[in-house]
Amino acid sequence: MKPKVAFFDFTSCEGCQLDALNLTGEELIDLLNAVDIVNFREAKTEREDDYDIAFIEGSITRESEIPRLQKIREQAKVLVALGACACIGGINCLKNHLPMEEALRIVYGKDAKYYDTFPARPVDAVVPVDYHVRGCPPVTAELLKVVKALLLGKKPDIPNYPVCVECKMAGNVCVFERGMTCLGPVARAGCSAICVTGGRYCWGCRGLVEDPNIDSEKDILKKYGLTVEQVVEKFKIYNTYAEVTK
Amino acid sequence: MQENSVLIVDDEPIVRESIRDWLKDAGYQVATAESGEEALEMIETQDFSIMVLDIRLPGKTGISVLKEVKAQRPWIKSIIITAYPSAETVDEATKLGAVDYLIKPVAPDDLERLVQETLGLVGREPTVTTKVEVRPKPPAVEVIEVKKSFVIAKESLKSMVESLTKEMEVVGVKSKHGKYVYDRIVSFDGLCLDYDVTVMPPTKYLLPAKETLLKFSVGGESKVEPAIEDRPRAIIGVHPYDIKAIELLDEAFMTTNPDPNYSARRQNTVIIGVDCLNPSPNSFAPSMGTRLTETGFDLLLTDIGGDYMVIVGSEKGADLLAKYPQIREPTGDEIAKQKMVRDEALTRYKLALDVPKERLPKLLEDSYDDPYWESRSKTCLSCGSCVMVCPTCFCFDVQDEVLLNLKQGERFRHWDGCMLVDFARVATGENFRHDKASRFRHRVYRKGKYILERYGRIGCVGCGRCANACLAEIASPLEAFNAIAESARIKEEARRIIREVRAETELYVPRLAELVKVEELTPREKVFEFRFKDGKSLGNRPGQFVEVSVMGIGEAPISISSSPTRDGTFQMAIRNVGNVTNALHSLEKRAIVGIRGPFGNGFPLETLEGKDVLLIAGGIGLFPLRSLVQYILDRRSSFGRVTLLFGARSPAERVFLDELTAWSQSPEIEFHETVDRGDEGWQGNVGVITTLIPKVDIDAWKTMAVVVGPPIMYRFVIGELKKKGIPDENIIMSLERRMKCGVGKCGHCQINGVYVCQEGPVFTLAQLRNLREAV
Repeated sequence: MKPKVAFFDFTSCEGCQLDALNLTGEELIDLLNAVDIVNFREAKTEREDDYDIAFIEGSITRESEIPRLQKIREQAKVLVALGACACIGGINCLKNHLPMEEALRIVYGKDAKYYDTFPARPVDAVVPVDYHVRGCPPVTAELLKVVKALLLGKKPDIPNYPVCVECKMAGNVCVFERGMTCLGPVARAGCSAICVTGGRYCWGCRGLVEDPNIDSEKDILKKYGLTVEQVVEKFKIYNTYAEVTK
Repeated sequence: MQENSVLIVDDEPIVRESIRDWLKDAGYQVATAESGEEALEMIETQDFSIMVLDIRLPGKTGISVLKEVKAQRPWIKSIIITAYPSAETVDEATKLGAVDYLIKPVAPDDLERLVQETLGLVGREPTVTTKVEVRPKPPAVEVIEVKKSFVIAKESLKSMVESLTKEMEVVGVKSKHGKYVYDRIVSFDGLCLDYDVTVMPPTKYLLPAKETLLKFSVGGESKVEPAIEDRPRAIIGVHPYDIKAIELLDEAFMTTNPDPNYSARRQNTVIIGVDCLNPSPNSFAPSMGTRLTETGFDLLLTDIGGDYMVIVGSEKGADLLAKYPQIREPTGDEIAKQKMVRDEALTRYKLALDVPKERLPKLLEDSYDDPYWESRSKTCLSCGSCVMVCPTCFCFDVQDEVLLNLKQGERFRHWDGCMLVDFARVATGENFRHDKASRFRHRVYRKGKYILERYGRIGCVGCGRCANACLAEIASPLEAFNAIAESARIKEEARRIIREVRAETELYVPRLAELVKVEELTPREKVFEFRFKDGKSLGNRPGQFVEVSVMGIGEAPISISSSPTRDGTFQMAIRNVGNVTNALHSLEKRAIVGIRGPFGNGFPLETLEGKDVLLIAGGIGLFPLRSLVQYILDRRSSFGRVTLLFGARSPAERVFLDELTAWSQSPEIEFHETVDRGDEGWQGNVGVITTLIPKVDIDAWKTMAVVVGPPIMYRFVIGELKKKGIPDENIIMSLERRMKCGVGKCGHCQINGVYVCQEGPVFTLAQLRNLREAV
């Protein structure tokens, strides 16, 4: 019996689902040989409520999303948070810096009264999450890695070290040496340092490493010319929900 | 036509601008166009050698731009970039003259390499043969052999490098974002030989960031095969410190359990070194002995201004020189010039070790508990940058990766490092180096001690890369080495101050002491009490010894039997066994002897404090141990439970009888004794001392055992203590050796490399496990 896989979207741009589709033809065929995809709004219209593995995309930003998520949790044997919004709250949490009424007003204007909202949060702030496929967007290869690990019944080898490691492996000149600043030293790797390799810097979209040395990173950012506000901004983009910027 | 002019055509500003910036950084003339129409206009008025073209453009598509360019300007080489590669588009683009394509997001390195290679095509087309003219070798060169030096002109070097690029992959140093990196080179002009240091070391070509070790299939026909890459490669421009690092890797990967992947790569690698004349500000290669090298390379170049001196380091190197370039014997001036440029380079190093590198293992050994590790590692990000950029780091992790069919897969290894949090974590969750300080210390110990002890070569080559890479600015081993050297110096100074209760004396001149009291313990043993003539106290620690002189007879090492906590005299219990002790035994009150010392480390009082202490004395082992017993009783509140076990061969050989009685009655100390053989009057325990140990109640984790006795006793006592579960670190022994001079010079007292009179006579069992001569 092939395991049944379902994708669910909560508050998000649905780019993670789109990215999950970004497989080569061969990979897609192999994937479909290995699992049955029963729910996938971006890719198919039929749906069913019997599934083993649930991928959750998006963060939780409304009261009404909680029972829906809980129901999925009850059904799924394995629940995987997919992408930055689901794993760490992501950019949706930027609104948490505003009063909720103001956030509603900015988004919906005079129709604000028809909507409700609450501070955005990652999936594991609501229900237990078995695995995280991190990133904005997630790395397709890592999604496949998690699927394969689940099929093999092993824990996927997901890096728990900072982006610096992969950045060095990629042979990059350090962002700080190129006159910019970067969250790489405290941000989780797994992305092969794609942003730095592409000439940019790390935003920390995969969240922070376990027990990050935030104080030291902040001192370094200041040493490289950032003001306190700029340092906070830097962390806010993806990591508002993390303890460090609360 | 400008040879390096590039036109970038892309409608996405971010792509267009980043490519522009990368290529500008790499030294190209760059123009940009937002659309196909604009590009075609620009091509009419300006000349370009290369066009980087997005295939999907608004308006005129990339394909139609290609068609027009092919018709109007056929010499422009086009590189296609696309986010949506399809075989058809690539095919069509190639037919229209595109040289290659890249998939978005484009990596700068790939693009730069492709542009460079494409420019190579541009330059090569008009000339059919290579530019370098082939001349017969000058007759001056007769034999090209290892160790010989020659002079090679730059043009000639260029010809050799470019010939090599046709035979194998050639990598060398290139400039990138104002720094230097090792990368594939296709022409000599891109190669940099006067760089300071590269971001990553060349060892990445021997141990790549990620490499497949095995390919396997499971299920139907299970199969496991090694995957070994053995493509020939030349690395050009390797600095001596990196060559030394490669020699260390050779030692680690090619001697015991030779690593097939490393060995294959290494044997297929040609190393052409170059002297570092322009050192990086963070380098301290001279202190590590890696500024120059005479081994580890095939050829080594020195820039002597225009021409290069080239030293042959191997047969492979000799063959290379014989095959390609014109070389000649160096003149006397040129040999002098090589020495001069090397000497000048030495003056450019700003950093140095404060102690000789040979002292590092011992300094580190003694600094394990130094507060430096904790305090300096506070800002450590555990980002691993220091170990990733290190040429002597070679640790790796191994993982399996399977295909989605779950039937085929690969086992690969990738770089890992001891500064990363998970490095020593096991499946149960236990992390054996869980805190920043222990990881930080471990790395410095590897660099200065462990690697040296394991492989015979020091683990840091002083390149300074880790210091460059560390944002918290704490990674330089030099800083750590100098800090602990300084801390050791301060500690040593403090120790000296403690000892300054005695007058400064010449090393071998004894101070005169008067025998104030002598008492017989047994027919063979007496206890002597001395006082210095100048009235000063000895200032000893329990467990230390002195050299006692009877002038005309000689000098002998004798343990102090009294605690410094007791007044201005000091006692020694002495068995009459040799010339000096025999002379001492015949002394009467008020006789004068000479005393040097105290010497040796003594018992580790700081470690014992607060712990339960189990003291075990066999026979006259009680003589030195008595000083500790007295000390503990005088500072009783600083210790937990105190137990003393004493064993004598027979009742007649028991010593310090009054004290034995006092101890047996004291509530402050639990005392048990035994004799090997009893007699009619003996009513106590009979049996060897080990029989007492099982009877004592011991809390193994907070007990320190201190054992002093004849050598034969140690092995059996250790066995019993281990049964009680006391760890090696908590078993302390005092050893006897022939300590003739007491000051670490004469050499008699060595146990393997350790001087007992200096590092001893007190050792933990853990220390002794590494000293095979010890017990």
